[in-house]
Amino acid sequence: MSEGWRRWLLGGLCVAVVVGAIYFPALRKKLRSSAKTTAPSEEQARRELTQPTVASSSDMPTKAKMFWASDEDETALAPVTVELALSRDPSLRAKQVLNTLLAGPVDSDLRTLPPDAALLAFYILPDGTGVADFSEAFATSTPSGILSEQLAVDSIARTLEANVPQVRRLKILVHGQEVETMAGHVDLTQFFPVSTAAAPAAVPAKR
Amino acid sequence: MVLDPAHGGTDPGARGALGIRESDLVLDLAAQVRRALEASGFQVIQTRAGNDNPSFDDRSTVANAQRGAVFVTLHISSTGLPGTARVYVAADNSTGAAGTLLSWDRAQAPYATLSKKLGDAVQGLLAQRFKGSPNSARTASIRQLRTTAAPAIAVEISSVSVQDRSELDKMMPGVADAIARGVAEFRPSYAAGPETGAQP
Repeated sequence: MSEGWRRWLLGGLCVAVVVGAIYFPALRKKLRSSAKTTAPSEEQARRELTQPTVASSSDMPTKAKMFWASDEDETALAPVTVELALSRDPSLRAKQVLNTLLAGPVDSDLRTLPPDAALLAFYILPDGTGVADFSEAFATSTPSGILSEQLAVDSIARTLEANVPQVRRLKILVHGQEVETMAGHVDLTQFFPVSTAAAPAAVPAKR
Repeated sequence: MVLDPAHGGTDPGARGALGIRESDLVLDLAAQVRRALEASGFQVIQTRAGNDNPSFDDRSTVANAQRGAVFVTLHISSTGLPGTARVYVAADNSTGAAGTLLSWDRAQAPYATLSKKLGDAVQGLLAQRFKGSPNSARTASIRQLRTTAAPAIAVEISSVSVQDRSELDKMMPGVADAIARGVAEFRPSYAAGPETGAQP
């Protein structure tokens, strides 16, 4: 190889090293930022998979009332009206409102349930007992404390009361099992009252 | 008086970002409440004095084995406005009529009225000292209270989210004094109460 070619090759290698030194940190930064934006998308995809596909031509846009923490007093609940296409079927309707409750309000500081919790199942027994089965994150990610745990349960009970009158009391399971407490305080072996108003027409299965 | 520092052992309870653990703080709080109660002439028993974690039933048993006990379980929350304190009494969510024998699972039910009276007395005193605290006791479905056959309340102060543990330490003498004064205020109604006829 002639001396001229050697110089050209050496020069080319030097340019490649300089370009690499400039470009690689920028590429690394881009990859990190891309990873951050992908995480919520995965969470969103998981949530979409766990949500029931209930929208049908019979579902009517309804002003549903969601109970999240109040922005004036974080120890109390406040109703927020959300327009949803709610099913006429009480169990599907309950799943829709509870998934909306889990998705949280616009201000995430006001959410009452952990963002990584999912509703695995919801069904209504003939006596009006609504059984809500949540993923383990419902118990493990809720901040431990009487205040936070009771607020979480109350937000579920009051949201069901406002939107699914067929549910008269609530039983909460975690991954299909009865657990003693939510996160060390609130008793999940008990039933929680949802509605004191009788809704007998909707409770028994009509065949 | 039966004092119950909640959690302990493998259960730290609420945890703050700076390593604050509810299970440690409530032991310190219990020591201060104990001193305030003993200064008012009460005999005090604790459900735990070290870093162990008795079961809910074992803690209730300590109170249920005493005649005329008053039970106070102590907690630090994860949330809520720092510098405030709340008193809770048990919400009775169970169904079915009570029989002549008292069910362990519903042991608190006959004491609901007395517990509310005690809770309101302590909460009223806490509200005077800690601005932003409610004026009366709230109901909550607290597992620990359900199996306790005595006037029983939970006291929870906010919160482990403080920047410095000293903020919670500063609250403890006021909380201890409010509990001791609230129990002393409540004592005559318990002694005369038809529900147990026992004295604390």
